[in-house]
Amino acid sequence: MTDTPEPLLRARDLVKEFAIPGGGPLSRARRFRAVDDVSLEVRTGETLALVGESGSGKSTTARLIARLIDITSGSIEFAGREVHALTGRALHAYRSEVQVVFQDPYSSLNPRHSVERIVTAPLVYQRRRVPGGARAFTKELMERVGLDPDHSARFPSQFSGGQAQRIGIARALAVSPKLIIADEAVSALDVSVQAQVINLLRRLQDEEGFSYLFIAHDLAVVRQIATRVAVMNGGRIVETGDRDQVFEEPRDDYTKKLLSAIPRIRPEWDAARRRNERARRDRERQEAVES
Amino acid sequence: MTTTAPETGADPTLLRVRDLTVGFTTAQGPVDVVENLDFDLERGGALGIVGESGSGKSMTSLAIMGLLPKGARRSGSIEFAGTELTGLPERGMRAVRGDRIGMIFQDPLSSLNPYYTVGTQIAEAYRSHRKGVTRRQARTVAIEAMERVHIRDAARRVDHYPHQFSGGMRQRVMIAMTLSMEPELIIADEPTTALDVTVQAQILDLLAEIRAETGAGLILITHDLAVVSEVTDHIVVLRDGDLVEAGPVERIFTDPQEEYTRMLLDAVPRIDDEIGLLRTTSAAEEGR
Repeated sequence: MTDTPEPLLRARDLVKEFAIPGGGPLSRARRFRAVDDVSLEVRTGETLALVGESGSGKSTTARLIARLIDITSGSIEFAGREVHALTGRALHAYRSEVQVVFQDPYSSLNPRHSVERIVTAPLVYQRRRVPGGARAFTKELMERVGLDPDHSARFPSQFSGGQAQRIGIARALAVSPKLIIADEAVSALDVSVQAQVINLLRRLQDEEGFSYLFIAHDLAVVRQIATRVAVMNGGRIVETGDRDQVFEEPRDDYTKKLLSAIPRIRPEWDAARRRNERARRDRERQEAVES
Repeated sequence: MTTTAPETGADPTLLRVRDLTVGFTTAQGPVDVVENLDFDLERGGALGIVGESGSGKSMTSLAIMGLLPKGARRSGSIEFAGTELTGLPERGMRAVRGDRIGMIFQDPLSSLNPYYTVGTQIAEAYRSHRKGVTRRQARTVAIEAMERVHIRDAARRVDHYPHQFSGGMRQRVMIAMTLSMEPELIIADEPTTALDVTVQAQILDLLAEIRAETGAGLILITHDLAVVSEVTDHIVVLRDGDLVEAGPVERIFTDPQEEYTRMLLDAVPRIDDEIGLLRTTSAAEEGR
């Protein structure tokens, strides 16, 4: 690593406006600015969390970066290339370098396609050869995301929410991306399942070295996964910083308000629980020795 | 009027649930979604019912209110302020539900009729339970209730339609509707789940304020352990329709007795702390 590594992704002065329906022939069409002058960087191997409440513009920003929608103005550079100028083969290449995992696995996975067809689809669309054949390729991917490889012929509805989300992650991994955009990817999951998927996302990043742009409204989840955090409010980024700085010494008033609003389990209760847990384990060990 | 502080000798228990079982008949045979549930709520107390999806927490609240979907079987005893609810005919239940027991649901938009002003809806709900109240009197009640939940400019907002309110404000309207009846018990089923975190904090503060003012009991149904830890004084943990563990909130959070409760507490991501690996139901599931 050099001292100043070139970021993988650099967005500058991003603006996205939507036309507001209505307005007569004499009035100028009104426009709503969902993303207002947003600049951010994602470095190789890191997780940048983009956090905010509903309507903050975080998901729109993610969709601009994934090139699912067009920018109004600004620039997005990925590995040195201007993303919104890409066409043809170069755009294809971008689509395999950047993958998206959505919030609701059931609506983002085709219910009539088997797991095998779903996870190999990105390769098929890009007319790329499936390395080692579709069956073996699918099974290997399923194993990597903690799914039973023997279930590769099953359909999304035959999986639980957490398992279905793993299929979405497997599909993203199929094209060996450099950046995965996770848009509220763990928000709809039960807490125990959510913990499993967070652990999985962290392990995969350790193994593969790709970057995450992690879009979330839940700051406690962000604390578990982010390297750096950007806080959005009203279409703007109000604060960007290293995770611990943002959580422990927030500078912006909105960030402070957001952090103080989060319900929390008292740390002293957690400490007492850990003490009790240790005592309980010691007692059990003692009893095991005595018997 | 209703008693808020029990006199000496009065039964301190507001709600006593015994052996509550809720079941459905499916193509695969009968399935119990709540099994042999026992719990109590004291007058003025706040009970959290927590669990993951499929735990039976919402079915428990619907069973108490007699709002189970068609085809559901319910057995056991639900005693509310000395009255057995399970034996009540629908007419008797209607006198309790929405009047002495108030309800707040996750999605206020689907609980409000888009065609009527919020004032009309609060007033009509009030009039349906209070015979002989005029429209004008009910409108006054509605405005007062909206003021009590801190909706600014209530005298004007009373004539607005649900879509003219934000999500948090709509939930305030629902709470105002509940509050206008001066219920002895409020059942809130995931009341803040659909709301942004800053709005959630305001609604939770409002519920606490109402409890302090009116002495109403609260049952809070949620998947969010951090929320129950802040709001309630007792907790019931459910899993797959079974009661896993129940007790005072501090005891459950500091000294959980059951493995499932421990796992659940370990799985909650903490805002104050990064936890190495979040603990999950089975290590094998994550560890490959």
